[in-house]
Amino acid sequence: MPDPDDLRALGKRLDEVRRQKEPRRQQAPPTLLGIASRFATELGVAVAVGGGLGWLLDKWLGTRPIFLLVMFVLGAAAGILNLMRAAAEINARSADGGSTISDEDEEN
Amino acid sequence: MKMSPMDQFAVKSIGPEWHLSHRYFTLAFTNQALWMALVVGVASIFMLAAASNPKLVPGRLQSMAELSYEFVTNMIRQAAGDDGLIFFPFVFTIFVFVLFSNFFGLLPGAFTVTSQIAVTFALACLVFVVVIVTGFAKHGLGFLKLFVPHVPWYIIWLLVPIEVLSFFIRPLTLSVRLFANMLAGHTMLKVFAGFVIMLGGAGGALAVLSLAPMFMIVAVSALEMLVAFLQAYVFAILTCIYLNEALHLHEQH
Repeated sequence: MPDPDDLRALGKRLDEVRRQKEPRRQQAPPTLLGIASRFATELGVAVAVGGGLGWLLDKWLGTRPIFLLVMFVLGAAAGILNLMRAAAEINARSADGGSTISDEDEEN
Repeated sequence: MKMSPMDQFAVKSIGPEWHLSHRYFTLAFTNQALWMALVVGVASIFMLAAASNPKLVPGRLQSMAELSYEFVTNMIRQAAGDDGLIFFPFVFTIFVFVLFSNFFGLLPGAFTVTSQIAVTFALACLVFVVVIVTGFAKHGLGFLKLFVPHVPWYIIWLLVPIEVLSFFIRPLTLSVRLFANMLAGHTMLKVFAGFVIMLGGAGGALAVLSLAPMFMIVAVSALEMLVAFLQAYVFAILTCIYLNEALHLHEQH
């Protein structure tokens, strides 16, 4: 039977080591601006790429405007999907790291 | 002399040129190549100088290098977990290159390497090659599950193309974000500078008004420093996030 005091001391030392290995909270960069610039490009580029791909496919296959319309919508959907993922990442981060802006922003 | 705010982005040949077979294939040493070489050179010298002769109590140079090391390490840990740390050299190189390029661009008369979509897109493509290779190396064909969300069969045929598209759009969003931010900021600076010259040249009361855009240049320069750091940070953290997906697919870690 090990001595409980020894175990407690060991536990304390383990906690200390664990705490040291954990990433330190640091000065968060100005992240709301980062989030804004990320979201804006995420949606805009997706729609543009979708439309552009559709236009190229149409030109290649001579099916104007079917692919343009379909790909435009698909691009918009992909953009929204990326946007929702980005938002979910930020939410997850702020849920487990406290609710202040400086915490949620380490992610973005 | 007519000046355009976009002149600063012109890529010009400044050295030897080799014309290969026809006019679309010219190898030239451009101002862009020169500034890229400068960025890489200065960044390397800075890091080497900081790492040589390390002390237990770091000096200024060593502290800066250690701070950036810790900054990137924490970024990778938080975004990609501990096993993402094998990508530390990759992410750190990208972060430092983009950061130095952005800050070099703020020097008067400098050429901003990251204001060229060719450069940012090449960087983003590099990131995606690494992500795809990592994904297939770690999960084999299971990596393709990334494109198959957990949804009922009757909707999956619609969602797979959307997932594929959203994956392949990312190199573009990654590169366009950095390029557009640098392009917009530097154009704005030059436009305000143009106002100062035009108002000053008009003379009289208008010349006094030229102080207003001058003040704006100072303010925008400060903002640009923030943007320079922020965009390097965003580029690096998104690299980590994409690597995390390749390492862990969609599971939470």
